[in-house]
Amino acid sequence: MGSTLRLYLTCIRNTLDAAMCLQNFPCQEVERHNKPEVELKTSPELLLNPVLICRNEAEKCLIETSINSLRISLKVKQADELENILTKKFLRFLSMRAEAFQVLRRKPVQGYDISFLITNYHCEEMQKQKLIDFIVQFMEDIDKEISELKMSVNTRGRLVATEFLKQFI
Amino acid sequence: MACIDRASPSLKHLLLKLYRAEKSIEIDHHLYEFGSVEYHIQSKVSNPLVAYLSISIPPLCHGVLSNNLSPHTIEKVKGICPNLVEITEPTKEGYQLTLKLNLNQIPRTKDYIKVIEDISTVQSVILSSQLKEILWNVNSDDAAQGMYKPIKLVYNPREPFFVIKQPQRIIAVFPIRFREKSDVIIATTFFQELMDVGNSDKWTKAPPCTWSAIPPPELRGEAFEDLSTNGGFVSFDISSRHVEGNRLDKTVWNLLNFNAYVRYHVKSTKGFIQRRMRKRLEDLAEVLHQTNSEENEQTKEVKQHEGCRYTNKLVRSSKHTMKQRWCTLGRKIKRIHFRLKIPGFARFRQRWLRFPKFSSKKYTKLE
Repeated sequence: MGSTLRLYLTCIRNTLDAAMCLQNFPCQEVERHNKPEVELKTSPELLLNPVLICRNEAEKCLIETSINSLRISLKVKQADELENILTKKFLRFLSMRAEAFQVLRRKPVQGYDISFLITNYHCEEMQKQKLIDFIVQFMEDIDKEISELKMSVNTRGRLVATEFLKQFI
Repeated sequence: MACIDRASPSLKHLLLKLYRAEKSIEIDHHLYEFGSVEYHIQSKVSNPLVAYLSISIPPLCHGVLSNNLSPHTIEKVKGICPNLVEITEPTKEGYQLTLKLNLNQIPRTKDYIKVIEDISTVQSVILSSQLKEILWNVNSDDAAQGMYKPIKLVYNPREPFFVIKQPQRIIAVFPIRFREKSDVIIATTFFQELMDVGNSDKWTKAPPCTWSAIPPPELRGEAFEDLSTNGGFVSFDISSRHVEGNRLDKTVWNLLNFNAYVRYHVKSTKGFIQRRMRKRLEDLAEVLHQTNSEENEQTKEVKQHEGCRYTNKLVRSSKHTMKQRWCTLGRKIKRIHFRLKIPGFARFRQRWLRFPKFSSKKYTKLE
């Protein structure tokens, strides 16, 4: 792992560690309702300042915290057109199957590629540290997967090109 | 999409069915391939040893070739299986060629599959022959004047391509069009690899390939709709080496099917990406489920160990409890009131029925 990536991920890990102190909090607007305040944003006193962590212009992470929920939005690097379509395809594929992840949001926040929504219930069901590990691991895996996919597509292209040219000889 | 195999799969299937039938069957089938090629197969119960195959193919190049097949093409078709295939005259109405297939001439050994496959390649034979003719005949007048006009070839109506015959070489230019942007990017990646491989030292014998987003200068003056693409233009420089002897057939067939080849590659790459994403999804989700399951296991373990914990606690605290119980018993005995009063018993009890005190809490004062 590159040193800049390690620093970026450590920063996200530490911020999440600090931000993920969620508690049950009923909705102040609607009686007997319990909603993620970070999504509704109806009561400013229940929201914390959002934290934006940038590795570079193309790669950033937005952490928005409220009293009972936390929203993490990621923007994944896309160096060229191939990486762009691979990232879009892969993240869309994951978002369509958000139920498999529990904490994954079906639609990313505008300007980001993928978003997670963690509520106090998730923190109660799962260990906080493990959740943070999952998010960081997810970020690492996505980067790795996109690079591997790009390499595979290029390798396939080269093999197919070789086979095509072989027919002329 | 065109088929990369020379043999038409549906025609082959039908001929095999006809050949393998134990009883004589009547067949009157119309087959359409790529939207423009039409086959008509006819076999009658009264004459099961003979089948008629009619074929209609639009001309590869409008204006250069006539609708009827040239004698050279007919000769090539006759050469597929001379004993088995006969050309009937006149041809069936609406078709360019009618073949009489003598099914009794098909060998009874395992070779019959190869023979039927050869018959099914009739369309590829006609197309290859037409392209060869175009390359031989056209441009001869223009070439004399130093002009090399591109010839538009329409194998698949949606994917026309151009051939430019020059004195030392033939340039084949393929305008590439895709509906989806992702297809364009995958295809572009492939073209870049094709250029890299083609220009490497190992592949000097292969025709040089170039890809550009703008039309090559050879296509200057062509219709705007032919030059508007989203995937750019791929050009192959075919030299005399690539059209010598048996290589001519291969080269012609490769050029005719280049578009189909690219589309097949794009489709299979998309399938590959999808398969890989599906596998990756399972791996990623597993991390989260592991977290859940670990937590559940830990909870279970805690519940299981609760009993042991009390035992351990009991064992650890038994010494202390024994002491406590011993003291309690002593206090109870002290409180016993005897009904019979014995003079001096109180002093005896104080002296002899005294319970020892544990010295654990006792300390000795240092002097």
